[in-house]
Amino acid sequence: MGKTTFLINFAEYLGAKTIEFEFAFPDGTKFKKKYPCKSAISDLVDENSHKTLALQGATLEIPVGKGKKKIQVIDTTGLIDGIHEDPKVRRSISQTIYEVLNSQMIIHIIDGSAVTKEDLPSSPSEVDFQISQIARLKKGYVILVNKMDLPGAEEGLKIIEEKFHGNVIIPVCAINKKGFKEVKTFVAYNL
Amino acid sequence: MANLNLKCKIENPEHIMDLIANGTITPVEAFLLFKELDEKKETSPLKPDHEEKIEDILKELDGLIGLTKVKQLVREIQAYVEIQKRRQKEQLFSESLVLHMIFKGNPGTGKTTVARLLGKIFKQMRVLQKGHLVEVERADLVGEYIGHTAQKTREQVRRALGGILFIDEAYSLARGGEKDFGKEAIDTLVKAMEDYKENLIVILAGYKDEMEWFLRTNPGLRSRFPIQIEFSDYTIEELLEIAKLMVEKRQYKLTPEALLKLEHILKESQKNLNYDKMGNARLVRNLIEKAIRRQALRLINQKQISREDLIYIKSEDIAEIDEI
Ligand SMILES: Nc1nc2c(ncn2[C@@H]2O[C@H](COP(=O)(O)OP(=O)(O)OP(=O)(O)O)[C@@H](O)[C@H]2O)c(=O)[nH]1
Ligand SMILES: [Mg+2]
Repeated sequence: MGKTTFLINFAEYLGAKTIEFEFAFPDGTKFKKKYPCKSAISDLVDENSHKTLALQGATLEIPVGKGKKKIQVIDTTGLIDGIHEDPKVRRSISQTIYEVLNSQMIIHIIDGSAVTKEDLPSSPSEVDFQISQIARLKKGYVILVNKMDLPGAEEGLKIIEEKFHGNVIIPVCAINKKGFKEVKTFVAYNL
Repeated sequence: MANLNLKCKIENPEHIMDLIANGTITPVEAFLLFKELDEKKETSPLKPDHEEKIEDILKELDGLIGLTKVKQLVREIQAYVEIQKRRQKEQLFSESLVLHMIFKGNPGTGKTTVARLLGKIFKQMRVLQKGHLVEVERADLVGEYIGHTAQKTREQVRRALGGILFIDEAYSLARGGEKDFGKEAIDTLVKAMEDYKENLIVILAGYKDEMEWFLRTNPGLRSRFPIQIEFSDYTIEELLEIAKLMVEKRQYKLTPEALLKLEHILKESQKNLNYDKMGNARLVRNLIEKAIRRQALRLINQKQISREDLIYIKSEDIAEIDEI
């Protein structure tokens, strides 16, 4: 979907040069590590799914009115429809769901280019629908339809808009930062 | 409920987390279990902080004085949206909901109040995510140079996402003709209504005649704003009811003489050529607020002030129109 890519590039978009992640693994291990934004991408982003297996929290500064506000953003493991065979992934999914229930705001990232290709692991599914049901009761809930630079994403966006009718939906490209201004405004107004 | 054959009873969220981790249930099933667990509890992370019921909002609407036709229309719209949603659920052909509106009426006839209630209703019905109202006018949308207007308009649209963008005196956007930047604001707005059609409602408000002229000069707009609501002036009786309600809310009372004087002033004002601009309920509010200040001034120099004194507004406290 591009959750990790989005978070890192969004931090950079907001003016950060470095980003400090606090990793929290399901087994209780915790540590902090600081990355320059560029190397954060190469270290933490992978084209294979379930790269992220910890909760990766980072503090971002977002301009609100004339000042700035600090927000704590958590990158999570991707949720899937079925039961994953790897217990490590299952435990990460479990802690991700816990965060979904307890956060004030949900930024839900869907891969726009995978919508029409139903067999990809990143295709939107029933679990996305369930997330939207719960997340819309939060203070802020926005769906980012990502990878708008890829073919088929426009069509995917249309389908998402229909399926998730009634929610705030913003098309973005996490790699080239398209749509980030809208996301920033949305977050700032919903704090 | 999903077909879950769980051998044990779910007692707490941690239990559900364990079931995901050990591979007994899928995330979707977990969410369903959370919902079920949630329904048994009073406070939970799944419930929004304070959600108003739709009946309560409709009651609030009914509580507004006058506005008979408007109330009827709002109920119609609410029913229409509900039915379209149910049809959608049953996978019957349902019209896509276009809920942009035109509000026609003089200042102080309840347009903003009704817009705010509509926002709450649509939030409840899950048509809008937030249902808040962003009130703007020409100056908030129109800029000073090429491109500035589009930028300003988009900024207001972003503020309103998930809610209602309420444009007061919208006809003024067409005031300057073709070359005016108001035209650019309208074009940007129309584009935004397309882009965000799932989560933005735009209401254009203004005087009846001006709004009708505006729609005539921009014929493309009519179909984009399928709902038109007319707000008629309040009758004198309604205005007096509003006045009574206003003072009661503030724990004051009007003496019978004060009420008579108010009635007289309102009747006189109706003869004024500028009555449509004087503000109906807003005029009443100004009169009442002024009266409260004048009562205070009258009492402050009094040696003894009784409870009665504090409560009653006398006719001498009511200012003449031209004093406001
Ligand atoms: N073309 C394109 N590729 C993207 C975009 N955003 C992310 N990607 C790619 O998608 C892949 C997955 O990105 P990640 O950011 O690791 O996705 P994630 O959601 O964090 O994935 P997990 O941590 O594995 O759940 C990477 O190869 C990214 O380069 C985008 O906007 N456009
Ligand atoms: Mg990741």
